[in-house]
Amino acid sequence: MTDNDHLVRFVDIQKSYDGESLVVKNLNLDVAKGEFLTMLGPSGSGKTTCLMMLAGFEPATHGEIYLNERPINRVPPHKRGIGMVFQNYALFPHMTVAENLAFPLEVRHMDKTEREQRVKRALDMVQLGAFGDRRPAQLSGGQQQRVAVARSLVFDPDLVLMDEPLGALDKNLREQMQYEIKHIHENLGLTVVYVTHDQSEALTMSNRIAVFDDGIIQQCAPPEVLYEEPLNAFVAHFIGENNRLLGKVIEDNGDTVKVDIDNDPGTVVANRINVGGVGERTTLSLRPERVTVNPEPGELPNIFSAKAEELIYLGDHIRTRFTVCGHDDFIVKIPNSAVHAHLKEGDTVNIGWNAEDCRALDPSD
Amino acid sequence: MKTTLKLTLLASVVAATSAAQAVNIVSWGGAYTASQQKAYQETYKDPDSINFINYNGGLGEVRTQVESGNVTWDIVDVLPDQARTGCDEGLFEELDRSIFTPAADGTSMDDDIMVEVPNDCVVPQIFWSYVPFYEEGTFQGAQPETIADFFNVKKFPGKRGIHTWPQALIEMALAADGVAIKDIYKVMSTDEGIDRAFAMLDKIKDHAVFWSSGAKPLELVKSGEVSMSIAYNGRIGAAVLSEGEKFVTVWDGQVLEEEWLVLMKGAPNREAALEFLVHASSPASQAEQAKYINYGPMRASAFEIMASGEPWFHNGKTIMEHMPNRPEVMARSIIANPDWWADYGDSITERYTAWMGQ
Amino acid sequence: MASNPPITDQGPLLTADGTPLKVSLQRSLRQNRNRAMLLVLPPLLFLVLLFVIPIGDMLLRSVDDKLVNEVLPRTFDAFEEWDKQSEPPEELFAALFEDLKAAEKVERGKVSVRMNYAKPGWRSLVKKTSRRLKRMDGPPYKEQFIKIDERWADQEFWLSLGIMKDRYTAGYYWNAVDRTYDFDKNVILQDENRRVYNLLWWRTILVSFIVTIACLLLAYPVSYLLATLPMRISNLLMICVLMPFWTSLLVRIVAWMIMLQQNGVVNDTLVWAGLLGEENRLAMMYNFNGTIIVMTQILLPFMILPIFSVMKTIPPSYMKAAQNLGATPTMAFIRVYMPQTIPGVGAGCILVFIVAIGYYITPELVGGKDGRLIGNMVAHHMQRSLNWGLAAAMGTILLIMILLLYWIYDKIVGIDNMKMG
Repeated sequence: MTDNDHLVRFVDIQKSYDGESLVVKNLNLDVAKGEFLTMLGPSGSGKTTCLMMLAGFEPATHGEIYLNERPINRVPPHKRGIGMVFQNYALFPHMTVAENLAFPLEVRHMDKTEREQRVKRALDMVQLGAFGDRRPAQLSGGQQQRVAVARSLVFDPDLVLMDEPLGALDKNLREQMQYEIKHIHENLGLTVVYVTHDQSEALTMSNRIAVFDDGIIQQCAPPEVLYEEPLNAFVAHFIGENNRLLGKVIEDNGDTVKVDIDNDPGTVVANRINVGGVGERTTLSLRPERVTVNPEPGELPNIFSAKAEELIYLGDHIRTRFTVCGHDDFIVKIPNSAVHAHLKEGDTVNIGWNAEDCRALDPSD
Repeated sequence: MKTTLKLTLLASVVAATSAAQAVNIVSWGGAYTASQQKAYQETYKDPDSINFINYNGGLGEVRTQVESGNVTWDIVDVLPDQARTGCDEGLFEELDRSIFTPAADGTSMDDDIMVEVPNDCVVPQIFWSYVPFYEEGTFQGAQPETIADFFNVKKFPGKRGIHTWPQALIEMALAADGVAIKDIYKVMSTDEGIDRAFAMLDKIKDHAVFWSSGAKPLELVKSGEVSMSIAYNGRIGAAVLSEGEKFVTVWDGQVLEEEWLVLMKGAPNREAALEFLVHASSPASQAEQAKYINYGPMRASAFEIMASGEPWFHNGKTIMEHMPNRPEVMARSIIANPDWWADYGDSITERYTAWMGQ
Repeated sequence: MASNPPITDQGPLLTADGTPLKVSLQRSLRQNRNRAMLLVLPPLLFLVLLFVIPIGDMLLRSVDDKLVNEVLPRTFDAFEEWDKQSEPPEELFAALFEDLKAAEKVERGKVSVRMNYAKPGWRSLVKKTSRRLKRMDGPPYKEQFIKIDERWADQEFWLSLGIMKDRYTAGYYWNAVDRTYDFDKNVILQDENRRVYNLLWWRTILVSFIVTIACLLLAYPVSYLLATLPMRISNLLMICVLMPFWTSLLVRIVAWMIMLQQNGVVNDTLVWAGLLGEENRLAMMYNFNGTIIVMTQILLPFMILPIFSVMKTIPPSYMKAAQNLGATPTMAFIRVYMPQTIPGVGAGCILVFIVAIGYYITPELVGGKDGRLIGNMVAHHMQRSLNWGLAAAMGTILLIMILLLYWIYDKIVGIDNMKMG
């Protein structure tokens, strides 16, 4: 990739509101043309601040943001030509839907016929062709959401920012809108920077996800990489479900390490990802679906005895909580198939996992 | 605890009933009410039974109380036109004249009053007047001495302070135009006379600063905003007597107004109020009031008490030269005719208001 | 389930025990309704006692002319007989004599006051004559009347009875707009030099309009600041805005006098700075300007509060969205922010205009020669001249103007769109 393929570049961005603490700490991030990039993180992690700096509503304290290789720190928001969908849509309540859509075209002095065509096209795109004369307050939440998306696109921006746009919708509608937005992104070849704190939303929609915490991008990668190969304990914990075992490295074997689990005599062989040498503390991360129940002895390097504490029937799988190695919150997803023994609460069985699936990461808490 | 509560309750009940029995006197507030309190209330046999209330004049509240039958006031201090209207409309009670204190020589109260008593409702209070004044040193050479000088801005340059209603100004304008004092109301009763008065007022119109509250003309003169102003004589006197201001009153063409006490029709404490009225209208009480304010007592006999007691003012200054109705200036004073104003007040007020705003 | 009565087409729905559903529903709601009534009663009573009755009384007084007809019935009968051309006949004098003699003193007083509105002079004429009624000999009366006061020979006094002959009159309303009845009850213009009300009406409307606009221009940016500044600072500013509410009206007015009079702080400063010659000191007090300046200051909070409360509810995201869509900050403000503040602006304007239109204390104190308003005349007639009929007519006209304003506002903006804050 050359620099020319990047639509947006954050270079050494720092942001402070009060001059005492940094909300964004030395951010470097490139967004490629046509990419759907999601900024994901808990609230207060700096993701929305980054979006606001990109939109031009907050100045960067340090560093430079480039849009199409042009520094834009000094470009006011209305000259940036970036579309944006706001958290609560920010549809102008005193204008009709059509007037809302026509607004960006009007301020660009587009003539009336073309304006009307474009508004109609944008409304058709979101299947609201008949709603042009309504006021936003007369629309349902989902419809308002679509109008907001249509308005952000009606003036053909290269880049569209979305600030938790689905947060106010109920679950079904949210999932439906996720697909619609995804399709619009694909059909129009847009570049989207999307902010959310909902990891499943991020996984569904994004080409790449930048996971924010404490003003720093913890990891920026495609969804499958983030899920399969988290680089640190925060990402492992934040994306998807995750069992954590804390311990200390007692043996360093190059690709793997042997870890002594806290408060328990057991040791675990784990994939060495992000951990110091012998004697360092580590967090072991293991996805619930990578655990085998009743493995053959010797089949797996890590086999432990476990007591089933709680079973939840979820149709395709049974979510089981075990006590293992002194941890009583160890979750295993047991596929609902005939091969598997059917457990009962209180049963004790052996469970085991591969060394590659158990990632030794930086110590946390 | 319970006892305290009971005692408090009892005390408040007692306070409430005694408050209801106190005679409510409604007056204008400020130094004027203070002088009434000193002269009448503090010399009364039971000062605590008297309660002074302030009002802004007019019969609006009086009429409302009487018409609604919910009368809370007993005695009201009223202007001459209101004394007449109120008595005509039955808002005030007509009083038996024989109960009031005669003068030392036996003259009855009504005959002792320096003007004709308009009706049987009124009890004498004071004379006050509209009078021109200036501050010493305002003019070089000749000093203003007549009412004509007030209307002469060529001879005595500077702005003039006048009030926003026509009473007294029409009379003064005619006097300044040379109408004899005894003919003023006769001339005023003709359209030509009114035109003549307004023609005179026109001469100072472009130099006029209008005031509507009694303290204002003193500020206007003191600050130099106007060189001369009409004011209530009591305000000027108070400033000179008590605050040492160097104001000079032009005792010519002043308009004397009466001030009466009246008893409300249906007054809640009628008997006590009557008793107090007798006390307040005695020559001694009338003279006493002049110790605290330079309004002139209405009763001639009170005037004699003062004249022989000089220096009479409470701080040891002489009072006579500040009395609006002292014999030397009476000949050059116009005694306001409230009956004329009752007849023509509305139309003149309308014309004057229109004139002001033109 | 099976015990439920079957729902059929015949007859009303019944509850399980057989009572009609409607009756049952009524009964269950009655208790709630009674309780609600009990809660509503005190404010309703308050409203009736302090609002409906006084306004009704005002409306009645503004047209009531019964008194004079009831006290002088014979006189008006005789007046109808008279041809109005010839000298007033003896019958007229006799009728008046009988009426006056039959009337109570208080009634004579009240009637003479009313008659004086029709023609100045009636008051003293009736009063003077009344005092001598007892000493008068029997008929004929004409000579005796004229002997008491020669004005009795003046036909105009008698003719003026024509103005008062009906029990209800629109005369006060005509007086309030510089019209009057001639003796045949035709509406004519008031004497030229008595025409003051129309001038005052127009001035009142003009002043209210200017004050409203001035308040709007001052309040809008202040409200915007209040709504957008951080809470701590905006609270402090809010206290400054509300300060006038906590200060006595008179104190504020006196403060303005000190500031604005010809030898006041503002003029002194301008002269000292050389911007103004000593001779050209500005007249900002005791005139039209003074009324405008002081009323604007006093009424400003009435404009700020509703605008502020509306502005506070407008999320900042609208302005951001507008700019993001390509509007300059100015355009975003005009096209997106301002229209959303209209409910507050409307409420503020109506409030200020209505309060301004009836103002009289401030104009009385600082209005001087040409800054006094219709409210001053209403107060004058209420308190001084006691012409309550005219005061009531003017009050009614004010009320109608305000209702008209509401109606226009409702047509243009919609009254339910108004936010008082």
